[in-house]
Formats: sequence, structure tokens, C-alpha cells
Amino acid sequence: MATAATAQQQQRAGEMNVIARKQRSLWGDAFYRLIRNRAALVGLIVIAFAALTAIFADFDLLGIRIKLAPYDPLAQNGPKQLMEPIWTKFFGSKFTDPAYIFGSDELGRDILSRLMYSSRVSLIIGLVPVSIVLAIGLSVGMLAGYVGGVVDDVLMRITDVVYAFPDLLFVIIIVATLRGTPLGDAYNGLLVIFVGIAVVNWVGVARLVRGQVLSVKHREFVEAGPGRIMRTHIFPNILAPIIVTVAFAIPGAMLTESILSYLGIGIRPPTPTWGVMINEGFIVFSTSAWPVLLPSMCISIVLLAFTFVGDGLRDALDPRSKM
Amino acid sequence: MLRYVIRRLLLIIPTMFFVALITFSLAHAAPGSPFDRNANRPMSQETIDRINRYYGVDKPIPEQFVTYMGNLLRGDLGLSFTRQRPVVDIIGQGIGTTFQLGLGALVFALAFSIPLGIISALKQNTLVDYSSMLVATIGTTIPSFVIAIFLIYIFGVNLNLLPFVGWGSWQHMVMPMFVLGLGAGAFLTRITRASMLEAIRQDYVRTARSKGLRERTVIVGHALKNALIPVATIIGPATAGLITGSFIIETLFNVPGMGRLYIISILARDYPVIMGTTLLYAFLIMMANLTVDILYGVLDPRIKVR
Repeated sequence: MATAATAQQQQRAGEMNVIARKQRSLWGDAFYRLIRNRAALVGLIVIAFAALTAIFADFDLLGIRIKLAPYDPLAQNGPKQLMEPIWTKFFGSKFTDPAYIFGSDELGRDILSRLMYSSRVSLIIGLVPVSIVLAIGLSVGMLAGYVGGVVDDVLMRITDVVYAFPDLLFVIIIVATLRGTPLGDAYNGLLVIFVGIAVVNWVGVARLVRGQVLSVKHREFVEAGPGRIMRTHIFPNILAPIIVTVAFAIPGAMLTESILSYLGIGIRPPTPTWGVMINEGFIVFSTSAWPVLLPSMCISIVLLAFTFVGDGLRDALDPRSKM
Repeated sequence: MLRYVIRRLLLIIPTMFFVALITFSLAHAAPGSPFDRNANRPMSQETIDRINRYYGVDKPIPEQFVTYMGNLLRGDLGLSFTRQRPVVDIIGQGIGTTFQLGLGALVFALAFSIPLGIISALKQNTLVDYSSMLVATIGTTIPSFVIAIFLIYIFGVNLNLLPFVGWGSWQHMVMPMFVLGLGAGAFLTRITRASMLEAIRQDYVRTARSKGLRERTVIVGHALKNALIPVATIIGPATAGLITGSFIIETLFNVPGMGRLYIISILARDYPVIMGTTLLYAFLIMMANLTVDILYGVLDPRIKVR
């Protein structure tokens, strides 16, 4: 949009031998850098697509009903077991059915519908535990960094112990031992996965926040005035690394769920998740690989998308870090 | 230096104690025992009492914990609930296989990651660099069990080249080692590249070059030597990654190692085995981290250990 004002600005910039640029805030600038990054942009589109699929797989709110999933993900169809995806017809497969675009699994359930409903679980797993982790980690980390003293000591001792466990091992122990309790069985095992991910991961966030608080605590802009220091001065300064951490924590949580479900200690079948689908489909893997291959591809694509966005965010928020 | 090592070794004791305490509490917080779940063969109360007494689970939990810790110090990890054998024996049976798998994976990871990282750094922003970074991104992002599934599909099912169930011959080892090593190696490639890029811009490299040394001497003798120090420190976390990775890979490929044993015990609620393996895993990881920290101090005199 070349208005008179920008033209004038450009002219003046030309005179002063600098490049004229629209004024942007720090965050606007970071956002611009993010979407200029092609991989990150593709990642964002993929994530948006996955999120929309998850939401509109079966949407019913305020009288608006949108149902993208062609079938009930749990409905079994005996005679239509192990249908292959329709595109395999071009390669000579005789077991296709136009009603099952992505084929059907060993119980005759529609794979496409199951994939769609699976993305719902992934979306929830990506958002809820990470929010819990963030809330606990932020408050404990800020407290430890800002107050110091005993609070800080206790936190550091706890982190030492939690760090001695490999993350996945700890989640497995929590989830496995709580199976059979009301907590462990709530929502087909979803709740206990929240707990497991939160218990293991808040420590990392708390440590990060503590370090950031300590590093900005003694800078001049904080010394300028007491009161509201935490909110108005420290918080905006530590926001960038936290955003990057969250961007990587979301796919991390999704990965944990899929590993647990694949191992048979995560979400209980028949609730569809990508991990559950792989676990169940593995029985017939040598006969028909599609019930396993398709969810595997979904996991790969979504995780790659998140990594691209995470890398893009890191570069965008801290241009200095780019080599 | 010696004081540092001793202090770190002593710190392992309280950490191990808490790891044991947490695992023990979690295991005993779970309701019921593995013996009262068999619906097909209901046991009389008398039998259940006798079994509980045999395994010592009739006593109050704090007392059980004290007994367990006492036995642990003597190297006794108790009896397995599901296979009437000592836990030490069961672990001993699987540990060799797991070490074989882990070591193979680590060697493979180092063998491809370090050269790849160096080449990427030396040929920065070329096609070679971009493709190796793409491989590294895929290797770190896509979970190992998904990569394993694709490999099994291609090499096991379709081409029928490699077996994908069991352990023993070298053909059995190829895929598990490759998959397990890939994740760690991909991560190491990124670190090596970043570290090498930093090293070749240092003053001492410029000095070496201006002295008229051969390019190879400059890269290998001066840049690489310093670039590998940060890489060495990543081997600790990478080992931890290999250990947790072994649960998944051993289960997937039916490898009779500790990782598969661990998952089976968890599904069967065999707490003595779960406790024993968890403690062993935590100990191994702490030792790996300690070794790396000491190594770091030895390799880089600039680092002062406290």
C-alpha cells in the first residue's frame, strides 16, 4: 500500500541512506520473521489443519452441527475388515471399498474417522498438561528466583532428584502404578497421563524461569523501582524463552502419549489415539500394514510441523541466536 | 578434582534414596496386589495371607521399605511376584542383551554423527549441509518406534531382507541398533555441526592457518579437537536416551533385554522387578552423567570443577 505518507518516508530514508520500514513492535517483528520462515509457515498450516480436523470431526455447539468424520470411530463392520485405502486400487489391490477412503482396521472400523478422532486426543494432550506445567513452573520458578533462600534450595533439591530419572521412565512409573485406581481409570487413562506429564515436566520450566529471573533480577531496569517488578519488568523479559519451551513441550507431550499408548499403558482401547491404533494394528501388521502406517504418518507429520514452528520461533524471538 | 569426584559420588546416595522412596511409595500406593486379580482361580483368604507373608507384603509399608533398603545394600532385590525367581537373576539375564544393543547403537550413532556434523560445518549452506540437517531434524523429531515401523514395513515385510522378531544373529541386530542409534546420532550431528562452526571461527584456528599449516592439520588438530568437547558432554544425556529408547525398541522387536522385561513387569504389576530395574536405570544414568562431567574437566582445562 503506497500511500503518500510512506512514499514521503521512503524519500526521506533515501536521502538519509537507510532502508525505510514500517514501524513494528518487538512482537510484531518476531511474528513477521516467523511467517517469513517457510518451514515454520508450513508447520503452522499443518497444525491449523490438524486442529480444525480435531475440532470439526464431530462439532455440536450452539445448534451448529458439523461432522467431518464419515463414521463412528468405534462402529465395527464385520464383513468389511481390513479394507485397504482406495488409492491402492491403482496398484492392483482387490480389497478396497469406496466407502472407506483410508481403509478399515482389523475390526472393520473406519481408519479415517479413527485418525480424525485421534487428533482430538492429541490436541487435548498437547494443550492441557502443558498449561498445567506452565502454571506450576512459572509460579515456582519466579518465586524461587525472586525470593531465593529456602524456597530456592528446596526447589533445586527436588529438581536434582527428578533429573536423575529419565523423563519417560518416571511417566511410565506414575502412569503404570496408578492404573486401577479411580484416578488412573478416569477418562480412559487420559487424566493420569496429564498428571504424569505435569509431574515430570514442571521442574524443567521452573528451572528455566528461575535462571531467567536470576539473570534479569540485577539489571538496571529492575533496580529502577520496586513493586509490580515481577509482572511489568521480569515477566516480559523471560517470555521469549518460555514461548520457545512451550512450542517444544506440546509435541513432547503428544509424543509421550503416543509412546505410552503404543506400549499399552496409555489411553485404553477402544478410544482411538494414534498410539492406540498402532498398538492394536500391530497384530495384523504382516497381513495389512495400513492400520499401523497411517497413524504413524500422522504422528510424524504433526511432530515435524511442531518442530519447524519451534525452530522458527526460536530464530524469530532471538535473532542473536542465529548463526 | 578428586574432591569433586568424591562429592559427586556421595551425592548419588541421597538421590538414589529418594528415587527408591518415590518408586516404592508409588508402587505401594496402587491398590491390591498381583495375587488377588485372578478372577478365574479365586484364592482363599488363607492362601492370600500365606503368599503375602511369603513376600513380606503383610507388614506395614514403612517397615517393608526399611527391609527393602537393608536388602538392597546387600545386593538383594527381592523375589519376583510373577516368576518365582530373585529379581537379581532376572535382571542379570536381560542386561547383557540390553548392553549389546545400547553399545551397538551408541557406536553407530557416533560413527555417523561426528563425520556428518563436521562435513556440514565445513560445507555450511551447501546441499550437503542442508540434506544432513534435514536427516538430523527427521531423526530427532520422528519417534523411534515410528521409524522402526517404516523400516519393518520396507525391509522386513516387503523386501523380506531382515528379521524383525527376536535377537541373536547379526541380521536381528541391524534394525534395532539402527533405530535406537538414529535418534541419538541425529542429535549429536546437530551439536557437532554447531560446535564445529564455532571452533573454525576462533582466533587459534586463524593463527594455525596463517602459520601455513596444512588445511587438514588445521581442521583435525586444531578445530576438531576443541569442537568435540561439547559433543562429549552430550553423550551423557544421549546414554539416558538410549536407555529409555530401549524400552520401546526392545518391545517392538521382541528383544529379550531389560527394557522389554521392564514393560512386561509393569503390565503384570511385578513391583519387585519394577523397583529393581528402576533403581538400576537411575544409577546407570547418574554414573553416565558423572563420567561425562569428569571427562569435561579433563578435556577442557578452562573448565574449573568445583
